[in-house]
Amino acid sequence: MVTNLGNKIRSAAHGIMIGASVLLAAGTQASADTNIAGKKVVFVPIAMGISLTEGWARRMREHADMHGYTLDVRDAAFNTGSMAELLAKAISEKPDVLVVHNPTVQLLARQIKQAESEGIKVLQINLQSNQPSAAFVGANWERIGREIAEDIVKECGAGSGKSGKVSIVPGQLTAADSVIMNEAAFKVFEAHSEIEVVSNQASDWEPEKARQITATVLQQHPDLCAVFGHWDVHTMGAGNAVKDAGLADDVLVYATGGGDNVACDAVEDNVLDRVWSYDADGQGRDAGTMVDLLLQGAAGADGAMMSVESPMKIIKSGESYDPGLCWKM
Amino acid sequence: MPRAGKRKGRLLEFVVMAVTVALVAAFSIAVDGFATLGNLQVILSNSASLVILSCGMAVVIISRGLDLSLIAVMVAGATTFSIFINADIPVLTALALTVAAMAMVGLVNAWLIAYVEIPAMLATLASAMFVTGLFRFAILRGEFLLLLSKSNPAVIFLSGEVAPGISTPVALMVAALIITWFLLRGSAAGRTIYAMGDNFQAARLTGLPVRTTTIVVYVFAAMAALCAGLVTSAASGVVDFRTVTNGTLLFEVILVVVLGGIPLRGGRGGVWNIIIGVALIAVLRNGMTLLNFTSQTQDVLKGLVLMVAIVADNYLNPRDTETDAVGDL
Repeated sequence: MVTNLGNKIRSAAHGIMIGASVLLAAGTQASADTNIAGKKVVFVPIAMGISLTEGWARRMREHADMHGYTLDVRDAAFNTGSMAELLAKAISEKPDVLVVHNPTVQLLARQIKQAESEGIKVLQINLQSNQPSAAFVGANWERIGREIAEDIVKECGAGSGKSGKVSIVPGQLTAADSVIMNEAAFKVFEAHSEIEVVSNQASDWEPEKARQITATVLQQHPDLCAVFGHWDVHTMGAGNAVKDAGLADDVLVYATGGGDNVACDAVEDNVLDRVWSYDADGQGRDAGTMVDLLLQGAAGADGAMMSVESPMKIIKSGESYDPGLCWKM
Repeated sequence: MPRAGKRKGRLLEFVVMAVTVALVAAFSIAVDGFATLGNLQVILSNSASLVILSCGMAVVIISRGLDLSLIAVMVAGATTFSIFINADIPVLTALALTVAAMAMVGLVNAWLIAYVEIPAMLATLASAMFVTGLFRFAILRGEFLLLLSKSNPAVIFLSGEVAPGISTPVALMVAALIITWFLLRGSAAGRTIYAMGDNFQAARLTGLPVRTTTIVVYVFAAMAALCAGLVTSAASGVVDFRTVTNGTLLFEVILVVVLGGIPLRGGRGGVWNIIIGVALIAVLRNGMTLLNFTSQTQDVLKGLVLMVAIVADNYLNPRDTETDAVGDL
């Protein structure tokens, strides 16, 4: 009898728990019903076909599918002229949100301002323009530049027994990341007179140009201590120049990047030594979430730009190397 | 060709040589590390792909043609070979298949020019677009970059040394120059190439095999482009399609040929002119990199050199009744 009563109580408790779970699940679903289905989002990246933008688009599409809004990707294929045209066309279509990947701080500033004045919310992803807009999701370039410079000071500066010579290989001198990282890095280096920047030449994001610049610099400065490349893809050219010169053990090659498996492969191949990854996969999810919020009417206090900073993952060669820090498409 | 005209035509070579010698002297005095054997090796190694491409372009231009598909074929060839070796296909089989594929592009170019009689500039522009589009979207599925493992034996060979102090790119560069010299000076096709460049209609009317020679010219250019593509991608560890889309390398190749003293209207020039043209560009590029000039400043100076060369070419090789009647590119 007692056992029967116990069983009944247990069954009733289970029933209540299941019912509560169903109610909770329904409640969760209800809160996900954001009423943003049918809205339109246009994403204009510098180029598709690279892991960074493909990774973002993949995660943003997941959000679009989940909530029933559309995400159109307009590929500028590294052509800044066509990027401005694609953006002009996107603005004329009056989407609800425009996601823009700025090649330089100035190029799309006027169009971002125009889009915002026409009521289109602009989300800038990873590379910021001079023109503020509704939101920004991306890396904190000041932090990356500063942290890499501080690491270089630690490895090449006073007491390290190294020359203190550093070669910087930016992508483009007017690109937001290069401008901010260089500013932050030089600020650190200025406080350490033993650090000498022997070269600061842009590679136009091309690995072969980065290789040629680095091969030439290494010839003039065989005691070079570190190379600081602003993007892992072009820095692989620089890393190959270091490796071909037989200096892989002497010259540290630093890079930043989206942290896909290619970055880990390069670290395993001794082409890159240290990569500050802003985790493009995570950024894609952040961007998707931000788009959801913008479509629901979220806005910064007093019209200020909302900002989401990407957490960093530092991929280092050596004993602490962890391939799990990289993601795969 | 009248003797006086020949002398006048060679004036540009002497001007370019004098400028190169002056630059070498100035850089040797002003730039630390310029006048060293190691830097000479870097200059040669960094110029290898430019020389090989210029061999292809020079032969085409001497025959009064123009090959705008050169860079597209270079990158497409490197892509084809890389895909094969990444798929663990034996190197020789991969090379044979790549050579056949790129020779086919050269054949199509030649067929369009010689048999369909489309102007060379338009035919090769169309084939460049077709090849780029086909490879990017059908073969690389939208990717811009294809990474090569530095541990692959073919990559190790192409970026390594054939003998102590002589890198494979430099050896291939010398081989390309010798083959070009033989084609132009030691073969019957070479005499026809000069005749075609001098006066295409006269060469045709005198019964010279202008159509089959056009095939030789464009297939040779495609092979040179393939060779340059293999050298570049093995060195930087990346096949980069932006080399085609940003277009600067194509203009650099034309710059080298024109600077060296090969007029765009064809009929004159040889291997020596290629060496002169590359020497100026290579010395200028190396010196400016050692001086830590930004890439934008480098572009401005190279553009200035091209303008001066074209003006000098126009002054030293003025159009006469014959060249005006036949037309120019």
